[in-house]
Amino acid sequence: MIEFFGEVAAWFTDPANWQGIDGIPNRMWEHIQMTALSTGVAAVVAIPPAIILAHKRIGGVLVVAGVNIARAVPSFAIVAIALPITIRLGLGLGFWPTFLALLFLAVPPMFSNTYTGITGVDPALVESARGMGLTERQTMTRIEVPVALPVIIAGLRIATVQVIATATLGALVAWGGLGRYIIDGFATQDIPEVFAGGILVALLAITAELAFNIFERAVTPAGQRYEERIGTAR
Amino acid sequence: MRHNAAVSANSMIELSDVSKTFRGTDSPAVQSLSLSVEVGETVVLVGPSGCGKTTTLKMINRLIEPTSGSIVIDGTSVTDLPAHELRRGIGYVIQQIGLFPHRTIRRNIATVPGLLGWEKGRVARRIDELAELVDINPDMLDRYPSELSGGERQRIGVARALAADPPVLLMDEPFGAVDPIVRARLQEGLLSLQERLQKTIVLVTHDIDEAILLGDRVAILNVGGHLEQYDTPAEILRSPASPFVADFLGSDRGIKRLSLIPIRDIELEHGPVVRPDADAEEIERVMAATGVDWIAVGSDGQLDGWTPGADVRSAGGLAGVALRPFETTLDISDSLKEALDAVVSSHTSVAAVFEDGRYLGMLSIDTISEEIVQ
Amino acid sequence: MNNADAIWDRTLEHVYLTALAVGIGLVISLVLSVIALKWRPTYQPITWVTGILYTIPSLALFAFLVPVTGLSVLTAEIGLVSYTLLILIRNIVTGIDAVPVDVLESAAGMGYTQGRRFWDIELPIAVPVIITGIRIATVTVIGLVTVTSLIGLGGLGFFILRGLQNFSSPIGTTQIFIGTILSVVLAVAADVSLAGIERWLTPWANRGAAE
Repeated sequence: MIEFFGEVAAWFTDPANWQGIDGIPNRMWEHIQMTALSTGVAAVVAIPPAIILAHKRIGGVLVVAGVNIARAVPSFAIVAIALPITIRLGLGLGFWPTFLALLFLAVPPMFSNTYTGITGVDPALVESARGMGLTERQTMTRIEVPVALPVIIAGLRIATVQVIATATLGALVAWGGLGRYIIDGFATQDIPEVFAGGILVALLAITAELAFNIFERAVTPAGQRYEERIGTAR
Repeated sequence: MRHNAAVSANSMIELSDVSKTFRGTDSPAVQSLSLSVEVGETVVLVGPSGCGKTTTLKMINRLIEPTSGSIVIDGTSVTDLPAHELRRGIGYVIQQIGLFPHRTIRRNIATVPGLLGWEKGRVARRIDELAELVDINPDMLDRYPSELSGGERQRIGVARALAADPPVLLMDEPFGAVDPIVRARLQEGLLSLQERLQKTIVLVTHDIDEAILLGDRVAILNVGGHLEQYDTPAEILRSPASPFVADFLGSDRGIKRLSLIPIRDIELEHGPVVRPDADAEEIERVMAATGVDWIAVGSDGQLDGWTPGADVRSAGGLAGVALRPFETTLDISDSLKEALDAVVSSHTSVAAVFEDGRYLGMLSIDTISEEIVQ
Repeated sequence: MNNADAIWDRTLEHVYLTALAVGIGLVISLVLSVIALKWRPTYQPITWVTGILYTIPSLALFAFLVPVTGLSVLTAEIGLVSYTLLILIRNIVTGIDAVPVDVLESAAGMGYTQGRRFWDIELPIAVPVIITGIRIATVTVIGLVTVTSLIGLGGLGFFILRGLQNFSSPIGTTQIFIGTILSVVLAVAADVSLAGIERWLTPWANRGAAE
């Protein structure tokens, strides 16, 4: 056991693993870039329509159904299916199947959380806003979005962590990222590399989760906490 | 109908010097309260919020443990048993009732017998008894609580509390969550239940009228659990022990007293009644003697109606005069409060009193106000 | 081996891995939930630890386990169970918390001991919320089982991985689709069955009110 951890440590201290395409900095950067790109595009694609539809109270049933179905499709399958599709489209391997798969993965939680967040805004607030003479657009931007912000950001958090995790499978469609260490490690039976890759991915995911948690807390108004609480009457 | 408890030497529940201070607070919720409840009587704890009435009630079945003092039920200290065993022998009804949503009404009622290990046949028989006692429709038994109305749920709550036939019943604002009409019916229900069962009941309410209606004795508590007065409702209304009590009873205390006095206890006036064959002279005489300007006509315990003096004079007698019926009639078992209501809203300023349809006499506002002043 | 047999075997493997993971996860979660409910200060750390396990990507988790437990069902199960904990614990605790206070008080007042009250009253009432958690956990695990193909198992994910390896030939696409569609069917079937079980267990939850 200790021997094994020694090997892992050795892997981390080997300067060769810090250089070049297969070096830690590059793979980390690839992973972060891909995550940012896919979640960024997903946010643009999912959030504004969700806000508008939620504001108008259209399509609620579809959203619920859609989320349930989306959850039923394994993320592994999404990455795998992207491959024949991008090949058919002439986009090849590597970047495109990974990107499209992650995009597809990130949209549902962002859409669903945004929708739920906006519809969850106290109707009294919305009504009084309208009563004061705010236009529909102003109601959305000045009342609904700020109040729903914690929930929307939670959606971003959920999507981002999921993307970071699934991006590891991008290695299976010839992409790079931190998943490379794990997949290549399995292929070459280099288990210390597998373990090291796991550590890097886990660190990235946990860091992202924590960062978003802090952000969420920062935008939550003092009196309104969106978290689980244990009741007091036992 | 009020139930009057004979004061017996048997105290069922005895609180001695009971105090409770909650952790993290300085002032005690209840301080050195001593109270005794007789077998078969209904004691109502009443007072403003913060007076410790609910805390006191909950100390009886140890949902709250006293900081000091002792509570004895039927000779046994409440701490002699494990709390859960104690509670299986005490009926407990709360305002929101707390029926178990995942169980049918039947299983809800059977809860304590189940905990006590009764065998199925006995439980089934008991449920039938209770259904009759508390007036539950048998086909309600296999429904779930969410299908029942508030009033129905309240009655189930009482049935559930009585299931194992406990000698003591604790009730915490049991009728607070329903509308006044349903509440009045539930209160009536409790009174008739008590007539049949003679349980020892301790009931908490913030409503002084409810306390007066339901209690054989009423304990008026002030903030901190101070016992301001503990006596029958009639006595408390007659002579409040302190300005606080007088205040709490309300400025209509005198009128409240009237609700405790049945007409039966008062001497009725004969009233200006003449037989249908009376002549104009006799009518004038009777009216003058009574000091009114109207006459009632009847005979042999029957009242046919009344008519103003003017009508008699212009007709020269009773012949051909249309008699008006009495708008409100009272039964001998009604209270003086109902009598006051009737008298105040009638043209004649009196109310006619009957027993089983037989005319007994009349009540005027003077007779009633004499009672208040006493 | 003919294809239908292979598909059936892999489906069974998938169901087995899922059921085992959710089953064990449920037991562990119940224990941890009872602890969290009895000793409130433990809820935070428990949520924290299970939260980390949930956040760690499944592939990374398997990467940690393989050196210790090898390419085995044990590795897969430890990983899969870890994912169910956060969801199940959160739903169990929330469900129990949602039991109305008056129900708890009347139960105590009638003479229920705390232990019996938990099993007879609180848990049954919390069943709808708990089963919702089980549904989410089950569907999630069904998805994650496919990833275990990388450590030699995979259930229906086996076909997905095979398909990726054969991506240059048409059979690859077929394999990917079969693996995917069957996984989705399995997930939907599980979800619907659990929803049905919930309705069967809680006849009281869907009755209308009289007022």
